[in-house]
Amino acid sequence: MLAPVLFALFVAQGQGDMAVSASTTLEQRPAAARLSPLQPRVDAAAPGSVIDVAAGTYTGDLYIDRPVRLVGHGRPLLVGSGSGSVVLVRAADVVVEGFDIDGRAGGDLGRDSSGIHIAAPRAIIRDCRVRNSIFGIYLREANGSRVERCRIDGIPGKSPGEKGSGLHVWNTDGFELLHNEIVDVRDGIYIQSSPHGVVRGNVARDLRYGLHYMYSDDNTFEDNVFENGAAGTTLMYSRRITFRHNQFIHNRGFASVGLLFKNCDDIVAESNLIADNARGIFLEGSSRNVFRGNLIAASDIAIVLYDSTSDTRFTGNSFVGNLTPLSLSGRRTDTIFADNYWSGNESPDLDGDGRSDQPYRLSSLFDHLRGNLTAADLVSRSLAASAVAAAEQALPVLDPIPVVDASPRSHPPVLDVPTEWRNAEVRRAPIGLLASAALTLVGALPFAAGRRRRVVLSGAHA
Amino acid sequence: MAGESVRTLILCARQEMLLAARSRWTQLFAVVFAGLSLAVASSGYILSGGSGLQDFARTAASLVQLVLLLVPLTSLVMGVLALTPERGGAEILYAQPIARPILLLGTLIGLFEALVAAEALGFGVAGLVIFARTGSDGLAGFAMVAAGSAVLTAVFLAIAALVSVGQHGRKRVRALAIALVTWFALALLFDVAVLAAASLLRSGHASRLLISSVLVNPIDAVRTASLLAIEGTGAFGAGSLALLRFTGGPGGAALLIALSLSLWIVVPTWTAMRRLARMDIA
Repeated sequence: MLAPVLFALFVAQGQGDMAVSASTTLEQRPAAARLSPLQPRVDAAAPGSVIDVAAGTYTGDLYIDRPVRLVGHGRPLLVGSGSGSVVLVRAADVVVEGFDIDGRAGGDLGRDSSGIHIAAPRAIIRDCRVRNSIFGIYLREANGSRVERCRIDGIPGKSPGEKGSGLHVWNTDGFELLHNEIVDVRDGIYIQSSPHGVVRGNVARDLRYGLHYMYSDDNTFEDNVFENGAAGTTLMYSRRITFRHNQFIHNRGFASVGLLFKNCDDIVAESNLIADNARGIFLEGSSRNVFRGNLIAASDIAIVLYDSTSDTRFTGNSFVGNLTPLSLSGRRTDTIFADNYWSGNESPDLDGDGRSDQPYRLSSLFDHLRGNLTAADLVSRSLAASAVAAAEQALPVLDPIPVVDASPRSHPPVLDVPTEWRNAEVRRAPIGLLASAALTLVGALPFAAGRRRRVVLSGAHA
Repeated sequence: MAGESVRTLILCARQEMLLAARSRWTQLFAVVFAGLSLAVASSGYILSGGSGLQDFARTAASLVQLVLLLVPLTSLVMGVLALTPERGGAEILYAQPIARPILLLGTLIGLFEALVAAEALGFGVAGLVIFARTGSDGLAGFAMVAAGSAVLTAVFLAIAALVSVGQHGRKRVRALAIALVTWFALALLFDVAVLAAASLLRSGHASRLLISSVLVNPIDAVRTASLLAIEGTGAFGAGSLALLRFTGGPGGAALLIALSLSLWIVVPTWTAMRRLARMDIA
């Protein structure tokens, strides 16, 4: 049991960008001066009892070392001592519900300072709001724990590197993250070495990674929204993960990816909305993956594919309004594309079987060139790039690596993807409107003047 | 004397602007440009599902493509048409007591005003559609595209002047043909040739070649500047960073692009004025 963990740790250290969680010692009972006024009630509680907390502000950290149910009425506010985690769960079967928690930006990343820090099995955290805390809710070896309907707001004004994750799951077998909302943290949901989890109905937005995930097998993601991440979502070194009905949207950072897989095998992704990302799907060194019935739209590159990826299928997806369908790194791929709809495909369907009569070519000479030469990106959006693509279609001899959808759909399929594409707030912009109106007037002026006045001078104009 | 020249220049410019504004060609351009801008503004919004700033960036990026295609072509053709008088026209025109270079410069300025007015009309209409739906965050990028469009107009009018010098009367068609070839070369062939050359070179040289060519070609320069202004370094992915490293940061890039475009305006205009002054018009 220890060997794989140590190995994972070793690799994790090598990755550099990884949480240092595993090497930290567990925070123990805080000093008496730091403890919450609620602490005596916990210390006096019999195992299994319910501790009802009335509305009010309670300053100090709370250490729960017995199986109790802590219930807030009228949203009591727990303000931390400012030197570490606010609520520490150290006994199995603890329930915490109905609290607002303020971490006062205290503690530090290395000690995993959290709003609620759980290091015991089967905890349930429900209807809590955590703000100003380095980590939101931290599950450390907390098998069978559940976090639901919680809201995490990060520490305002701190750079992502100084913040922790919203929901952090480490070395936990079996966990449920349900209907939480996470805003302005480093990583929305961070999962490492934690199998058999269910992540459903969460929203993670305005952060670095919406989902940051490694060494965790057999997990399921449903109905989540990962939105506006500077880096998007990334999954590494894991197997058998299912994504259904999630939204990966507006991840527009320089290297953002809607959904990135590196060395992940046996992924099933279906009915997801992957839209308005710098890159939609990224696959490197991943095998036996299936993408079906997803809508991949409005990305600069819909799919980035490394030739280290094998035995992967894209079927029945809809690719709409992407600048480039595919960027292939390497010489060739055995990835299968079939029965997808591509909005860039203009080939007709004369026999009316719902499939275009010709295969749709995903690779282009230009994309091949830019894959090997970064600076070629600079002309990627010029007429020349389109011309090269057109020439390639006219002269097949130019084709370096043919990647095609053998039977592209002629009409977009009806997909079961989430439809509530969350619109950003439309702010009316009088300045923009006024400037445009002024521009229109200024532009119209010479034409109006030209009409009114008779010009006597003879001119060169025809 | 200098004051006299300036007054003559202004007179020529105003005359040409009125002529151009009354020209069916300019009016057609104004209508077509406004129509296409409007189409781009509306469809860009629909395509991206109406999602705020990013929606604006996509729309503006499409507007850039429209500008890069239409503005150089129109400026060249309008410039050549206006600067190559019909048979006998040149003799009468240049018999006027006005210095030929002044007449040329005035004509160019007048044309520039008329074309920029037509473009402003298009941008104004598109802006009304865009800003009625999105925030004003994109206003700077939008202004950048409009400014790029004006600069391109100036560049290609200057090229038109150079192409047209002495090509009056029957040679008019030749000037028009040269103008079209120039447009095709700068809008398309140049980049294709550079890409071909880059694919043969080693990666370091290829990068330098691509980056320099993007700064040298006026259409590429405006495209690069506009898209970088609208979308930041995300515009060309890693290529953006290669460019910024090569030019020593955003300031250096802006400076080099401005220098390149200024040279494209000044050198052809000045050469055309010199050649016209020395030319023997029979």
